[in-house]
Amino acid sequence: MRKEVEQGRPDGKDTWPEERLRGFQFRKIKRVLGHAYQELPFYRRRFDAAHLHPDSVKSFHDLARVPTFTKKEVLDEMKKKGTFRTGMETFNSADQAVLCMTSGTLGTSFLYLPKRWRSLRGDSLARAYWWGGLRAGMHMLMAAPAWHSLAVQESRVIERLGATCVIPWGTFLPRFAENFLTTLVDTRPDFVSIFLPMLYALLAECRRRRMEARLAFDSVQYLLIVGAPMTPRSREQLKEELGVRDIFEGLGNPEGLTAMECSFHRGHHIFADCCYVEIVDPKTGALLPAGKRGNVVITSLIPYGTLYLRYDSEDLGEILPHACECGRTWPLMEVYDRRTNTVEVAGKEIVPYDVRLCLDDFPELIGVPFAVVRGEKSAPYLKLLIQRPATGDPSGLGARLRALLRQRLQVDAREEWTEELPERWKGVAVIEEKDWGTPRV
Amino acid sequence: MRPFKQLLRYALGSPLLKKKFGGLATDIAGFKDFSVKIPLTTLEELVAEKMSSGDPYASRLCENGAALVTLQLEYDTETRLYIALSRQDLKRYAEALRRCWSLLGLGKGDGVAIFDYGTSPVSYLASSAFTPYLSQGAADALGCLPICNDGVANMSQRAVEILKFMRPQALFIRSDCLEPFSIESERQLGRLSGYTRALVVTENEGCLPKVEQDAYEKRLGLPVYRLLRIDAGMFLAMECPECRLFHSWKDLYYVESVTRAGDDVDEGGQNYLAITNWFARVCPTVRYLSQVKGSVYSAGCRRGPVDIRIAA
Repeated sequence: MRKEVEQGRPDGKDTWPEERLRGFQFRKIKRVLGHAYQELPFYRRRFDAAHLHPDSVKSFHDLARVPTFTKKEVLDEMKKKGTFRTGMETFNSADQAVLCMTSGTLGTSFLYLPKRWRSLRGDSLARAYWWGGLRAGMHMLMAAPAWHSLAVQESRVIERLGATCVIPWGTFLPRFAENFLTTLVDTRPDFVSIFLPMLYALLAECRRRRMEARLAFDSVQYLLIVGAPMTPRSREQLKEELGVRDIFEGLGNPEGLTAMECSFHRGHHIFADCCYVEIVDPKTGALLPAGKRGNVVITSLIPYGTLYLRYDSEDLGEILPHACECGRTWPLMEVYDRRTNTVEVAGKEIVPYDVRLCLDDFPELIGVPFAVVRGEKSAPYLKLLIQRPATGDPSGLGARLRALLRQRLQVDAREEWTEELPERWKGVAVIEEKDWGTPRV
Repeated sequence: MRPFKQLLRYALGSPLLKKKFGGLATDIAGFKDFSVKIPLTTLEELVAEKMSSGDPYASRLCENGAALVTLQLEYDTETRLYIALSRQDLKRYAEALRRCWSLLGLGKGDGVAIFDYGTSPVSYLASSAFTPYLSQGAADALGCLPICNDGVANMSQRAVEILKFMRPQALFIRSDCLEPFSIESERQLGRLSGYTRALVVTENEGCLPKVEQDAYEKRLGLPVYRLLRIDAGMFLAMECPECRLFHSWKDLYYVESVTRAGDDVDEGGQNYLAITNWFARVCPTVRYLSQVKGSVYSAGCRRGPVDIRIAA
């Protein structure tokens, strides 16, 4: 008797042998290169300026000859043309499509996303939610910030996997935590997809209501977190506090990256069916091998709508050198922070995530807000501002923390304990020394 | 079968409605009878029902309804309320939004910007890309290209960017974002008419007062229309650019103007709008008494000769 296939169960691409996978990806890359050269003036110009024809790209190594670009170049192009149509998109007014936005300190850029883009990227993302435990008939809590491409993909994921959904009123800003928490309690979802800072806002709302978080999350089996990196210890603590079966972290950006943890939590598997990731040296542009940190460069493998081809996301990340115990062959990666959040200390580049890993070694400091204070020049020591923990002796803790930072990061550190850190969004943990005391929301 | 008979038949699947008029449902002979015999449902009643029963849908959910999408509603009540929708509910609700857009003259190839939360029906019914199980949003049906900003007032700067780089035919905007947006657009764009053709101000169970509407039109230099939402009843109505009354549609809604006690008011009289929704199968709406003061006018506008017209 034939076994019935469960709705949305992903295919076996993620266990393909490496050679087959690379062949599959390279064919996709060739397709988007050809498409970009033929159809998209933004890329045609860049290819011509680099004296490069897509036919001359015969290996992954050759791809590195395609010039990278950053968000600033996209914004400049928009300003020059006075329209969102930068020539990076296949625009067809007959398409069913939406425009979405990316946000950030530099400004807003736009993505033209037709139905075919949504189908391909959404179906790819469905695998991530499957890994995260979402199944047909489950009830999922989602935010609906329709300005963001994740909403466009999530709506497809829910249909594809046959789940139902509940959407709280508002958006994923901490001031809507009350609505989100009420929705959680009232409608008892099995699965929650949420931004990490919003999850922390929900925990704060639980404390405000004097409600045990475990009770609020009583119905929830799995959480899928995006938006900020979570350390292994903070995950364990959150799991314990919320009483959920597991918490998965997803990585992604609207320009093309999807990466997701499996249940082994050894890093994020890059979704090889829709994106290709390289790590490059930010100074030389040279490709870096697995295990070396550098800028994350993304190539979307979806030749519809707005196409990002060798886009330097200016995120600091690395391809992890180890294979995952789960047996999946899709490479693992980690993204630590925005490159702009790097702090130079005694000639070393440090990101807040490195510090967070050390802080989380102390049970009293797991999840406690902190900030790295950055001066104008490279500092001789790491300067930290840490919210005073509810229990424990900060001075004793400080000495042990300094020793750990010296051992792990090979830098000296000085810490200052404060009652409360300024509220900030997306957990940005760098404060400029000159802005000391200026709250950033 | 008369639409109210059909409605009452399935509405009896809802515990709240069964409790309210279960015994009366079979005796209704016509619209007059319907208005006299079927009691109104108020927001306060829904809140009380939710609090006593603990049911998030305030006992409105039909037991046989295929609820796929649940939305928390925008009401500042003691407890939060929800509606649930099936594929068919979503389809018909989006059809109401499509008609609102059509009345405004939006069509193939037009850009439409929305400055509202993703949870507002003005946003989530705009495109099938925004909402699971919505087969066709207003933009899909008309061939428009939608873009949605968040509904937070301090996102005005981003709304201005949308206008600058997209030049949409219309901007739908939450009423509480209108003033911050106006300030930002005056600062950055000068007169708005170079960037869009009309603004449409939306609000749940409320309308921008006419005086303010006129003042914004004058100040911003372009037409400012209003879109009326009554979210608990899954109701939408659009102010007509020609007759300047709200248009609604008989095949989707039955609209009455009543006193709070439920008595009818003659044409032109000012009272509260009560909404009966013909399409909502999962959370039926039968004579929901809104907080919107308004009166129902007879049909007769060139832009929609058979449309229900409402002054609010």
